[in-house]
Amino acid sequence: MVIDERLLKSVIAEVLQEMNFDNTVDVKGDQFIPEEISNMDIKEIGDAQKGSAPNEVVIGLAAAFGVHQTKTIVGVPHYEVLREVIAGIEEEGMNYRIVKVYRTSDVAFVAHDSAKLSGSGIGIGIQSKGTTVIHQKDLFPLSNLELFSQAPLLDLKAYRDIGRNAARYAKGESPNPVPVKNDQMARPKYQAIAALLHIKETQYVDGNKRPQELNIEFK
Amino acid sequence: MKSKRFEVLEQRPVNQDGFVKEWTEVGLIAMDSPNDPKPSIKIENGKIVELDGKRREDFDMLDVFIADYAIKLDNAEKVMKMDSAILARKLVDINVSRKEILDLTLSMTPAKIVEVVSQMNVLEMMMSVTKMRARKIPTNQCHVTNLKDNPIQIAADAAEAAIRGFDEQETTVGIARYAPFNALGILVGAQVGRPGVLTQCAVEEATELKLGMRGLTAYAETVSVYGTEAVFMDGDDTPWSKAFLASCYASRGLKMRFTSGTGSEVQMGYSEGKSMLYLEARCLYVTKGAGVQGTQNGSVSCVGVPAGVPGGIRAILAENLIAMMLDLECASSNDQTFTHSDLRRVARTLMQLVPGTDFICSGYSATPNYDNMFAGSNWDAEDYDDWNIIQRDLKIDGGLIPVTEEEVVKVRNKAARAIQALFRELELPEITDEEVEAATYAHGSKDMPERNVVEDLKATEEMMNRGITGIDVVKALYRAGFEDVAESVFNLLKERIAGDYLHTAAIVDKDFKVISAVNYPNDYAGPQTGYQISDERWAEISNIRNAVSPEDF
Amino acid sequence: MEQEQLLKQIIEEVMKSMNGNKEIDKSHTVSNTDRMDVTNYPLGEKVPERIKTPTGKLLSEITLDKVISGEIGSSDVRISPETLEMQAQVSESVNKDAFANNLRRASELIAVPDDRLLEIYNLLRPYRSTKEELYDIARELEEKYNCTVNANFVREAADVYEARGRLRKDI
Repeated sequence: MVIDERLLKSVIAEVLQEMNFDNTVDVKGDQFIPEEISNMDIKEIGDAQKGSAPNEVVIGLAAAFGVHQTKTIVGVPHYEVLREVIAGIEEEGMNYRIVKVYRTSDVAFVAHDSAKLSGSGIGIGIQSKGTTVIHQKDLFPLSNLELFSQAPLLDLKAYRDIGRNAARYAKGESPNPVPVKNDQMARPKYQAIAALLHIKETQYVDGNKRPQELNIEFK
Repeated sequence: MKSKRFEVLEQRPVNQDGFVKEWTEVGLIAMDSPNDPKPSIKIENGKIVELDGKRREDFDMLDVFIADYAIKLDNAEKVMKMDSAILARKLVDINVSRKEILDLTLSMTPAKIVEVVSQMNVLEMMMSVTKMRARKIPTNQCHVTNLKDNPIQIAADAAEAAIRGFDEQETTVGIARYAPFNALGILVGAQVGRPGVLTQCAVEEATELKLGMRGLTAYAETVSVYGTEAVFMDGDDTPWSKAFLASCYASRGLKMRFTSGTGSEVQMGYSEGKSMLYLEARCLYVTKGAGVQGTQNGSVSCVGVPAGVPGGIRAILAENLIAMMLDLECASSNDQTFTHSDLRRVARTLMQLVPGTDFICSGYSATPNYDNMFAGSNWDAEDYDDWNIIQRDLKIDGGLIPVTEEEVVKVRNKAARAIQALFRELELPEITDEEVEAATYAHGSKDMPERNVVEDLKATEEMMNRGITGIDVVKALYRAGFEDVAESVFNLLKERIAGDYLHTAAIVDKDFKVISAVNYPNDYAGPQTGYQISDERWAEISNIRNAVSPEDF
Repeated sequence: MEQEQLLKQIIEEVMKSMNGNKEIDKSHTVSNTDRMDVTNYPLGEKVPERIKTPTGKLLSEITLDKVISGEIGSSDVRISPETLEMQAQVSESVNKDAFANNLRRASELIAVPDDRLLEIYNLLRPYRSTKEELYDIARELEEKYNCTVNANFVREAADVYEARGRLRKDI
């Protein structure tokens, strides 16, 4: 079995704890303790404002990203994901801002909200499980410039490419899209756990909370 | 010491699959959640004031819509009082007609209809499907996509899929902006293969409608509905906006169905702790209430969720059956991968393949699975012969036709040349002879030369801005010497004037005659009734290329 | 041809307004004695002489040759309100009432141009519009395009969105 059983159990246990349910699910066995994630400090510094700088890309993180969850579905640490996306943007000589989107955990809306806040109109949305979208403010929310729906296939290089392409769109270029990957066995392997991770993310959604500007320090 | 037996078992494909235990609080339960509401209805002054234990003042958006649009009130109080086990027995009973059943089921509430199907085992459900399917003749639908969104390959694969028997074909995109080219590729390719095949392009709702209005697609399916209000919002629609969208399609003479499936609410994080089947029943009632002719359901892209819990595959059959009990066309999924095990994927499909549904697969991959941009189908191009032989073994009609290599090569080549000529006439980026040749003989996108993606994407945008329509496609094909293909595309466009193919479970045959549940209703009433495989069709199914005859020796 | 179209349009509008606010307008230009049912289906095969495009052309006049010569364009390969009404009657004859209602809503929407129809659909999606904006759309549908049923439907949506907190949250 490819799903990390310990991770699964820990997710279930944590969610149960947070929801104050009776522990009716079988979560016996070793408790999984998440690795220290002291590699990144995330501070919310107030409501995110709409940017006017045409040279910025806004990175929107879903509600649990980097705080309540620290790795993607295949264990890529969130701080590395962010570092690569940022590196990709900076390689193109563009700036970035990071926000956290609370009103929904749907990646398309996270990305679209970010695009609407972005001075260039380009935003990137990233869910905790790793699913990512590059968006443009004038597109339909559930449309996109580029969608990376199969999170298990996203490695660090892919995240750097995503950052770079977003920056190029922001410059008004038409970059070659990051090559689409497809693994028809991702669903049988990962869908159930993806559901669990998404449920966990969704528990931090706050329909009335505006996007928050983040200050992130990498250590 | 480690058991050698278990070492071997560990290596079996089925043990690559993900399974989870039931977890009712978050809705990880296929059927019969203790949190599912108990059936009830109260009607005052012709209005439902209580639905499945909830009073009208507590209704959410979906409850309001279902109560006001989806339930026939005449019979409702009577039916709700009937014993669910007795209702289930009527469903299985060949002496109770489909029409009699509909008089009962159309007046049930979502909780009631779920309670009825919960009384049945899968064999009983299959017997019910045989009777309750809308159209007399079962058929099949395929996916035509590829990893690179290569439109020449799409045209060639669509042409091949058409001669292999698929009556509907669906494409989608890796990169959203490619949609207009993919729509062109599948439209032209399918008409080259078999005039009258219906094609669609699954993309964002408003974009999909636009492609339909332009005459670049013949129907739509990716119009998703969900079973809880919160997930409906994340799907960026409401029952009212979706119902309005449905009418928009009909106003342009375009066939359409909604899509839903068990597991989507769990997958999207808001299940309210209800079972997957109960929530799917709500989706189907929204579909019914919107006045849509049919649904694609059977978990569809969320199949990994129900398949991971006990009884999940049974729940998928149950949801197909509920669609039919609501008199909806049912394109019964069997489309997306959910397992590494060949045994599991066949077992899952027999539930719909044996009784037959309006579309057994709502997406048999007409390409190798690595090119399937719905993240893989339960069946792909490499399974063509298996499917054909299963039809032959069991004497069932799964909609496919055995074909020869010569036929396939010929039709792929013609489709590739047609799309090449069309691109030239419409001043779209060049398609080279090398690409035509590659598409003719390709198995998948690994066999195709690279295209200039940036240039293609610019051209798709220009094409939409220029306002290219289906009529332009007809003219361009005609000018380029593909008069027969031009005529087929034209006839397909012409279908929308009379609108006969808007009706339940409609398909269009090679002479552009409409076959639907209206002129070919399912009239199964036991052995030797309903759909029977004709002698011609049986000869077609029997005649596989690898069968030897006595004269060969 | 243009005059004929205009005339047809005027007659339709008058008939529609005569029917007033009746929820379901079953008459349109097909008289009640002449109702379609399952025996007339498929209409394109059984009663082609009854099928006209919104531009007033007979189904039999829609030919490939005329497309090639440019005599027939995209606006001719569309369904007309009368045809959708006939299809609604067919579906009622086979007990598919919800579907018939959809077709009747659709028959009204034929009058709304593609781009505006797409816009209205998008404005009906959650969090897109205020209640007033949705009521304005309803009025537009009613007054400009004679879409009575759809106008009521949009107003009903606005009320439900308000009750459920799905109207636009500003900015």
